[in-house]
Amino acid sequence: MNLRAIGCNVQSASVELREQLAFDEPKLARALAELPARYGAEAVILGTCNRVELYLARPEEDAPVHSPLIAEFLSEMHGVPVEAIRTHLYEHADADAVRHLFRVASGLDSVVLGETQIAGQVKEALEAAQKAEAVGPLLNTLFPAALRVSKRVRTETGLTEGHVSVSSAAVDFVREVFETFTDKTVLVIGAGKMGRLTLKHLQELHPARILVTNRNAEKAAAVAADCGGQALPWGQLDEALVQADIVLSTTGAPEPIVPRRRFDEKVRPRRGNRALVIFDMAVPRDFDPRLHDGDRVLVFNVDDLTRVVDQATQRRRSHIPAAEAIIAAEVARFVQDWNRRKDGPVIGQLTAEIDRLREAVLAPLLAKLNGKISAADRDYIEGAFRLFQNRLLHGPIAALQEAAHTGHSTTLREALRKLFGLQG
Amino acid sequence: MTVSPLQGITHACFGLSYLCALLLEVAQMLWPRAVWRPLALVFGFAGLFAQTAFVLYHQPTPASPYGSLLLLAWVLAVFYLYGTVHHPKQAWAVFVLPVVIGLVGLSLVLATAGESEPEFGIPPWLTGERFWGVVHGTLILLAAVGVSVGFLTSLMYLLQARRLRNKVNPGRVVPLLSLERLETMNRRAVNLAFPLLTVGLLVGTVLAPTPGDTWLSLKILSTAGLWVVFLVLLYLRYAVHVPPRRLALLSIAAFALLLVALVTAHPFAVGGAK
Repeated sequence: MNLRAIGCNVQSASVELREQLAFDEPKLARALAELPARYGAEAVILGTCNRVELYLARPEEDAPVHSPLIAEFLSEMHGVPVEAIRTHLYEHADADAVRHLFRVASGLDSVVLGETQIAGQVKEALEAAQKAEAVGPLLNTLFPAALRVSKRVRTETGLTEGHVSVSSAAVDFVREVFETFTDKTVLVIGAGKMGRLTLKHLQELHPARILVTNRNAEKAAAVAADCGGQALPWGQLDEALVQADIVLSTTGAPEPIVPRRRFDEKVRPRRGNRALVIFDMAVPRDFDPRLHDGDRVLVFNVDDLTRVVDQATQRRRSHIPAAEAIIAAEVARFVQDWNRRKDGPVIGQLTAEIDRLREAVLAPLLAKLNGKISAADRDYIEGAFRLFQNRLLHGPIAALQEAAHTGHSTTLREALRKLFGLQG
Repeated sequence: MTVSPLQGITHACFGLSYLCALLLEVAQMLWPRAVWRPLALVFGFAGLFAQTAFVLYHQPTPASPYGSLLLLAWVLAVFYLYGTVHHPKQAWAVFVLPVVIGLVGLSLVLATAGESEPEFGIPPWLTGERFWGVVHGTLILLAAVGVSVGFLTSLMYLLQARRLRNKVNPGRVVPLLSLERLETMNRRAVNLAFPLLTVGLLVGTVLAPTPGDTWLSLKILSTAGLWVVFLVLLYLRYAVHVPPRRLALLSIAAFALLLVALVTAHPFAVGGAK
């Protein structure tokens, strides 16, 4: 195996450098055409917001592509000085490169531990390389294997369980209360950034309508236009609360905008028995926390959601050893399978060559003895030659298979080729 | 006389199958493994198969406490399997199976000694004077299914509401249906059970009165109490808009009354429990 994984990620390079090294579609196509032509290598480029990585595989007899060469390549491609790139690149070789890709695809190397989006990005990277005809036997085997390992880690460990963002935790709570959303009304109060992010997640539930209200009517109109909602005057807040099923509040008000008394007097009596989920993302809080009863009115603030996220992250961390064990086993299996695949033709050629030599010696001998020995004697001689051949081949084949386990069969394979005059 | 292989099926066959299914479901909650759930379903289906064969062979009358408990357990076992297959991510079985096993156990306690021979053709309880008694028993049984579903959904509702009140991380606990879904199921179960219970009671009172039963007997009192609880439930839900948590508590009380009504001796059980 002559494989290299060279690149930079969020740990090794700043966001500015990663931005400069990002491949847009035309650059990606150009790079995938250039890499095989220039270095005679199979190539896949994996680019996400957290990493830019090049996976390069060359024939075993060729020298590997090292990171200084890739730094030069990236420098030419993106017009960034090579010195600015070189020190930020890491390089993984052979089995380490396999392990690196398996960890990346499984979300172990991600900023958000266990994120699943990366598997899709790995798949897209392979597809782009396949489209550009930049991949050969090794990368065409390695990347599908990485996706399989990613799936194994996902299903056999809890690495991807639980939500690790405040917005998705909010959606989880909403799902515990409501079954259907196409008949629900979401009310957005204020226009905070966190609220917009959560609203994005809530929009994925396809609520019937979104109402937006703000002290500043223009801001309300802007948020409403952004999310396809309906802006309401600030004076209609109580009416909006009566109609709402889910409230997202992110105002910058210095005091609660909905104290308990106001809610109990003006909103609760008109709501009947309908449940109301309030996400109070504002600090200081917009809603009186005493409204929370776990049944009809549920109030979750930023701390509640952050606690859920922290617990999920901690739980994911506890699954790292199990995920690493799966990856270690899969790397060993991949390396072994790959080496066996490379050894197969050599073993075939070797067996055929010894077969040919045996026939070359045995045929004249049997011709000379023809008529002088019985059929049983003839079978005995043929059997003895076959046994000799098997014993002769046992040593080299066993040594080759042993070397395949450790990933060091290349030298032995070459030696056998030379010793027995096999085709390369 | 030939011996049917179905004669060998006993309460233990399906009771223990359900128990194994329950233990596997609990194992799935505590130590999730891909193998627990399919195994639990195998035991669940095996239990249902055995109970179905048992019911078909022995044909217990729904008018007897024994028969009504056994048939109610059978309906809830179907409910358990349906729920588990259709909502595989929810902790359905851990709520329904204990009730199923409890009902099977209660029916076993009520069973009198001595097996009756299987009856083929039209069972005698479908003819003659017992007919209205059986109609009464069947209606009460169907209402009991509604009460049981109401009880189970109420239990789940209370648990879910408690978790939400304490803001427990949704990913860390036994998965349950949403409050909205549980409330809907509870409402439908009660709405369906009330008319069945009312008609069943009218049939029992007017067309199949029990000789020797007084208005103060435990069976009559508990059944009347059950009906009143249902009436109160409907009134509180639709007229007063009481929070669902309180309605859930009333549904649980209704189930307790139902159990008392079902296990209390019944005149149509005359002739053996089986």
